[in-house]
Amino acid sequence: MRKIMIPLIALAVAAVLSSCGKGGGSTIKIGVLYNLTGAQASLDGPSANGAKLAAKEINAAGGVLGKKIQLVSYDGKSDAETIGKAAAKLVDSDKVVAMLGFSDTDMVMAAAPIAAKAGIMFVTSGATSPKLPGQVPDYLFLACFGDNVQAAAAAEYAYGELKGKTAYILIDKGMEYTMLLGKYFKERYTELGGKVVLEDFYQTGDKDYSAQITKLKAQKKAPDLLFISSGPDDVGTIVKQFRDGGVKQPIFGGDGYDTPLLVQVAGAGANDIYFTTHSLMDAAAGSDAAKKFIAAYQAEYKAAPENAFAGLGYDTVKLIVDSIARAKSTDPKAIREALQTTSALPGVTGSITFQPGNPIPQKGVALIKVEDGKLSLASEKAPEKVPAP
Amino acid sequence: MTQLEYLLQQLINAVSMGSLYALMAIGLAMVFGILRLINFAHGDLIMVGSYGVLLLNAAGLPFIAAAAAGAALSGVAGLLMERLAYRPIRGAGDVAMLLNSFAVTILLENLGIVIFTAKSRPFPSPEAFNAVVELGAVRVSSLSLISIATTVILLVLLTIFVTKTEIGISLRATAQDLVAARLMGIDVNKVIAAAFLIGSCLAGVVGVLWSARIGKVDPLMGFQPVLKAFVASVVGGLGSIPGAVLGGYILGIIEVLLQGLLPSSLAPFRDAFVFALLIVLLLFRPNGIMGGRDKEKI
Amino acid sequence: MKFPAKGKLVYAAAGAALLAFAALVVAGGSGYAERIFIGLAISIVLAEALNLFNGFTGLFSLGHVGFMAIGAYASAILTLPLQAKASNLPDLPAWLAQVQLPFLPAALVGALVATLVAALVGVPLMRLTGPYVSVATMGFLVITQVVLANWDSMTRGARTFAGVQSLTTPVNAWIWAAVAVYLVLRIKNSSFGRSMRASRDNEIAAESIGTNVVGQRLIAFCMSAFLTAIGGALWAHFICAFSPKSFYFSQTFSVITMVVVGGLGSILGSVVGVLFVTVLSEILRYLEGGFSLGPLAVPPVYGASQVIMAIVLVLVIVYRPTGIMGESDSGLASLGKALGRRMGAGGANK
Repeated sequence: MRKIMIPLIALAVAAVLSSCGKGGGSTIKIGVLYNLTGAQASLDGPSANGAKLAAKEINAAGGVLGKKIQLVSYDGKSDAETIGKAAAKLVDSDKVVAMLGFSDTDMVMAAAPIAAKAGIMFVTSGATSPKLPGQVPDYLFLACFGDNVQAAAAAEYAYGELKGKTAYILIDKGMEYTMLLGKYFKERYTELGGKVVLEDFYQTGDKDYSAQITKLKAQKKAPDLLFISSGPDDVGTIVKQFRDGGVKQPIFGGDGYDTPLLVQVAGAGANDIYFTTHSLMDAAAGSDAAKKFIAAYQAEYKAAPENAFAGLGYDTVKLIVDSIARAKSTDPKAIREALQTTSALPGVTGSITFQPGNPIPQKGVALIKVEDGKLSLASEKAPEKVPAP
Repeated sequence: MTQLEYLLQQLINAVSMGSLYALMAIGLAMVFGILRLINFAHGDLIMVGSYGVLLLNAAGLPFIAAAAAGAALSGVAGLLMERLAYRPIRGAGDVAMLLNSFAVTILLENLGIVIFTAKSRPFPSPEAFNAVVELGAVRVSSLSLISIATTVILLVLLTIFVTKTEIGISLRATAQDLVAARLMGIDVNKVIAAAFLIGSCLAGVVGVLWSARIGKVDPLMGFQPVLKAFVASVVGGLGSIPGAVLGGYILGIIEVLLQGLLPSSLAPFRDAFVFALLIVLLLFRPNGIMGGRDKEKI
Repeated sequence: MKFPAKGKLVYAAAGAALLAFAALVVAGGSGYAERIFIGLAISIVLAEALNLFNGFTGLFSLGHVGFMAIGAYASAILTLPLQAKASNLPDLPAWLAQVQLPFLPAALVGALVATLVAALVGVPLMRLTGPYVSVATMGFLVITQVVLANWDSMTRGARTFAGVQSLTTPVNAWIWAAVAVYLVLRIKNSSFGRSMRASRDNEIAAESIGTNVVGQRLIAFCMSAFLTAIGGALWAHFICAFSPKSFYFSQTFSVITMVVVGGLGSILGSVVGVLFVTVLSEILRYLEGGFSLGPLAVPPVYGASQVIMAIVLVLVIVYRPTGIMGESDSGLASLGKALGRRMGAGGANK
């Protein structure tokens, strides 16, 4: 026992000491925080891959301002304490000029304040809460649309195109994202004239929805459609149980549905489902930019991008590098100013424009239809009217 | 649907969940009865079984065979657990055993994360499980009926085992008094291994049924079930197999009752109520419903 | 199999690990180093508090992190600035929404709430025996989890409670660590402490001489809850963003490992245990991200650090169940005696 321990410890010490002299000042360091393990992994993993791909492409083309960029990434483990420590390290020790990451509002809040305190900007690739910039003023930007935008798009399609006059709303009360999404949907939907017959809740990670299903079916008048505000890990189970329970109406959701798990877990139930997301990652039906990205991703990772979040990670890195290029400097403040004036930057997930003073970009919403397990683009446009954050 | 049909629907829900809880609680009870070990890692045996089925099925084995193999895999995992983590500290006291089981569960959960990543994977339940049986307005998933049937069959087999076979009787003897059993020439090591094997195989079966119900597997899936199994086991009386079964069904019924009776504002607190009721029960019956009084020799 | 308590090899290994840890801290930058420093202090508070109950009474509570959660949430709600309260906790009852306290009063209020809860919960629990106490306290942990995750108006439910003021400094964290160590040490050596440990070792004998065992346990439970809640308050204002999941089994395992590895019942042991676990987990967390050893590049293996930590705990329990320091505080006691001799030279025999 002892004989093994000593060499093991020596090995560990040597590894630590030898890796301590990290790369010199000849690269531009950008901090990357994603949850590679935990409930967020199915969204963050592809985002991290997209980010790495972007960095690789940028460096192959010569980098920016004459230097190569270096992504310093840490795994957040979907845990606030780990994220806080990682953010502190990025700011103090790695001395990054900007930070990006996370697809979830709650995760961003564990890191962004630490970056903001040091004057470093945090750009979230996938956290969609429109309230975020208010919580971390000046230093928090979104590379994606806000939940009020996507919920409005869903409501307008559900009421307008699908002519669904009544709806059942089921909300995950364990996430800021799902609570907000549900709230905005209800607001826009009722504004259009729709009627909510029943609003019900569940807790993130619940395994059994029979109570909610029973309650829905006990309703005198069945709703025309369902809006289920769910995160990526639960959506498959929910859809499966609802469909197995005999619920046949169309189901609507947000970008939390943009995960391979939806079709994999729901199986035959993955039918007549609509969800809003950042873009359709389809080699045949996607935009030109999406097709090019898919090909590059496929070549690099030997697999197609799992969902739009891969594209978001990619676009966010390009967004930051573009700001560095236009700022002509690596000073965090200059980068921030340049970011705020970004206009019509083309991306895989749509073109990014920031209006003055608004850290949330105006981007179009892709509404995807799932039919017998196949995804297709049902609509792609910005909503007419958006609820206030 | 009418009141009666609603009641029937909920009753079937309760009994099918209760069956799963009962199976899990039996595993806990058997191990506690002999070793006074609260095996937290029991939940991870559910996970091991589920992943076993997943992998074997993906490798081409038909579902039933894969399910049986998965349960067997859980059994083997349980045996390994006993041999590596619990046997070395036999006699070291309740606390040491409790802590070890805690450590083992963290180990297994994170090993699962390392090997399979934390993402959930879909579970290949066969179409037969997804079929729905309709009795009037009552819709019962065939899975619920299968769960109940499987549990009943296993309980019958288990009862025959502990009353008619030599090892089964030795098991009960060892649970009653380990030292006396040893003095009577019973190979305690073999008996303990048998207890772990059976309990773990039962956990594997639960894994199959549980995963089929929720449609996916992930490394942390055993955590919630094992908590429920604890409640069931404690309610019935730690160490008592009939107690475990009783506790499992009581838990299933209480959960469904609370779900129905609690006003919607309090419904999310259902689990808190379940545990609170558990604490209240312990106030009046500190050893559970069927646990006897602890006789302490001075 | 016996581990030599003082073997040259063990000291060498410990020295090497500390060296690696120091290198990590230096390379991590001042912010990181400060975070480690504060983290150590908070862990000491939590470990000593748990030791007070689990080590002295012979019962093993699995639910203490529930008190940590109460302390954290209560103090965080109280220190939250009024504007943040309005936006993050819009449904807070009026009397709370108007209040904003500085750290110390908020932490003390949180600790008092936790103590009250402990008293309430403790009455039924302290009469139980061995494994039933463990399961019941675990039940308490689950209850706090469910309540916190669903009491939306007070806690934002399961969503992240962010925007907590960063009020924990190295100074106040270490002051509390010192207070915790001192308190638990005094209790251990007081007649109350001795009586408790006697009850632990032989409950019936203790009862036969009139000791109110259940009452003692209840007092220990409440004191332990108080300290744990203070630890929770410190932690909340250190991490500044948390959710009910931060106060569940992962945290429980962490604190229990520190106490058990250090030595259940040993004051110094808890400190040593905290140091051991922190050093080991930081090294492992670093290595987990992938490292290079000359020409050999090891890829990242996320999750491995927890696996190794669990293995370490199993090894400690199997080969050295009393922990690194055992139950003794002989080091501390002889230090105390030496100090006493220095200061009271010429006084009566000690």
